[in-house]
Amino acid sequence: MSQSIGTRRQLYALSTPAVVFTLALIAFPFGYTIWLSLHEVAMGAAPRFNGVANYAAMLRDAEFWNGLWITFALYLLSLLLQLVFGTWIALLLHGAKRLSGLVRTLMISPFVLPPVVVGMMWLVILDPAIGAANWLLQQGGLPRSDWLASPTWVIPTIALIDTWQWTPYVALIVLGGLQGLPPNVYEAAQIDGASRARIFRRITLPLLLPTLVTAAILRSVDLLRFFDIIYITTQGGPGNASNTLNIYGFRKGFEFFEIGYASALMITLSTIVLGAVLVLTQARKRVAW
Amino acid sequence: MDERWIRRLNTLQIVVVAILILLPIAWMLLGSFKPSSQVTAYPPKLFFAPTLDNYRQLFQTTPFAHYTWNSAVVTVGSTLIGLLLGVPAAFAVSWTRINWPATVTLLARMAPGTLFLLPWYLVFRELGMIGSYWALILTHAVITMPIALWVLLPFFDSIPRSVLESAQVDGCSVPRILWRIALPLVMPGLVVSAILAFVFSWNYFLFALVLSNGDTKTLIAASFNFIGEGATYWGALMAAATLIALPPLVLAFIVQRRLVAGLAIGAVKG
Repeated sequence: MSQSIGTRRQLYALSTPAVVFTLALIAFPFGYTIWLSLHEVAMGAAPRFNGVANYAAMLRDAEFWNGLWITFALYLLSLLLQLVFGTWIALLLHGAKRLSGLVRTLMISPFVLPPVVVGMMWLVILDPAIGAANWLLQQGGLPRSDWLASPTWVIPTIALIDTWQWTPYVALIVLGGLQGLPPNVYEAAQIDGASRARIFRRITLPLLLPTLVTAAILRSVDLLRFFDIIYITTQGGPGNASNTLNIYGFRKGFEFFEIGYASALMITLSTIVLGAVLVLTQARKRVAW
Repeated sequence: MDERWIRRLNTLQIVVVAILILLPIAWMLLGSFKPSSQVTAYPPKLFFAPTLDNYRQLFQTTPFAHYTWNSAVVTVGSTLIGLLLGVPAAFAVSWTRINWPATVTLLARMAPGTLFLLPWYLVFRELGMIGSYWALILTHAVITMPIALWVLLPFFDSIPRSVLESAQVDGCSVPRILWRIALPLVMPGLVVSAILAFVFSWNYFLFALVLSNGDTKTLIAASFNFIGEGATYWGALMAAATLIALPPLVLAFIVQRRLVAGLAIGAVKG
C-alpha cells in the first residue's frame, strides 16, 4: 500500500522537531566551526576572514605534529590491545559453559563507569609514591614506575587504562560475533581432525573479521577523540607528552581563546575520524561473508 | 592435553580476567571506607576498620549534594528532551525510510565535543546562557537524542507494516498510531533508550566543563575540582568517585542484555 500524502505530511510533522534540533545544535555548529576555522577570532572584535591562514599556521606548529603523533600512538596502541585481549576473552567465554553468565555481568561495569571516575580511580592506584600499582611491582621484584607522571610511560599508561575500561566491551561484541557463526563449519573441521589453532586461524578468525572491524570502528571513533581520562589525569602533561589533538584543541580554544585556530584543529581532527570510519567501513565490506 | 585440562585452564583464565576487571573498582570502594590515616599508607592497607568519615567529609566540605541535584536536573532534562525528539523521529524514519535525519545525528557521535563547544560557547555567551541549566540540558540532548533515535529504530522496524496500515484503515491518525499502537509495542526499546540516554548524559564531562558555572556544575565536571584537593583528601575523592559511579552501574545492570547493541548506535546500519 502506498503512503498517502496525508500520511507523509503527518510523518514529516512528527520528525520536524528532531530535524530542527539536529540542524540547530549539530549541523549549524558544525558549519559554524568550519567558518570560524577560516577566520581570525579575537575576543571583543568581529571575526576577520583570513583564508586558510589557521591551517597554514597549524602545519608550521610543532605542537600540532606532536599532538597528531600522540593521537595516533595512543589510538593504535589502545586499539591493538583491545582487539587482541577482547578476542581472547571472547574465546574464553565462548568455550565456557559455567561462569560465563556471571562474568558477562561483571564485564559491563568498566565501560558504563564515567570516564572521569575511571580517571580518578586510576590516579590513586598509579600514584608514583603511594599507589598500589607500584607496590605490586615491588612485590614482583620489578622497578617502580612513575606511570602518568613519566613522559615516556604516560601514553602506554593511558592506553592501559582505556584498555581496562573498553576491552570488556570489545569482548562482548566479539562474543556476539562468535555466537553468530555457523556451527556446521566447525563440525566439518573437527571431523577432518584439524587442530584448535588451525581451526581458529583458518575458520574462526576469517569469519570473525567483519565483527572485529565493527568493533574497531566503534573504538576508533572514541580513541581518536580521546579526552576525558587525559584531562582528568594529566591535562596533556607531563610537559606535552599526552597532549592529543583533542586536548590541544580544547586548551587552545578555552584556555588561550584562540577560537579560530582551535576550530581549524577540530575540523582537522573530525576529518581524521571521518576518514578512519570510511576506511574501516570499506574494509568491512571487503571482509564480509 | 586432554579436554578436561583445557577446560580447567579456560576457567582459570576467566577467573583471572574477572579479578583484573574488578580489582580497580574494589580498590576505589575500599579506599572510600578507609580512615584518613590509612588511605595514604604505604604499603597499602588491605585490612582496616571501615568508616563513613570520607562520605561525611565529602558532604560537609563540598557542595556535593548541590552538584548531585545539578546532575539530576541536567540528566533527567536532557533524557526527556532526547526521548521527546527522538521517539517520533525514529518512528517516522522507520516508516518513511528517509534516513538522512538519523545519519546527520551521527555527526554528533563522530566529531569531537570541542568542535561543537566552540560555536555553542560563542552563541550561548551572546544569549547570556552560560551557566544556565538550559545550556547544559540542550547540549546534553545532543548526546541523548541520537541514542533514543538509533536505539529505537530497530524496535520500530520490527513492527509489522500490516499492523500500522490496518490502524490507518480504521481511521487512526499517524500520531495516534504512534501513541496508542507503536509505543506500547516498543516499550522494551523505550526503557533501554531512556536508560542509555540517562547513563551517557550523566557520564558526560566536556560540555559542563565550559558551559556550567559554580552554581550549575554537574557532579562529573565538579570531580575535576575534587582532584585538586585530592592530594590531601584521597578518601573523600574515592567516596565521590563511588557515589558518582553508582547510578550508571545500577541502571546498566538492569539493561545489561541490550547494552552492547545499544552502545553500537549507527555501526550496525553503517
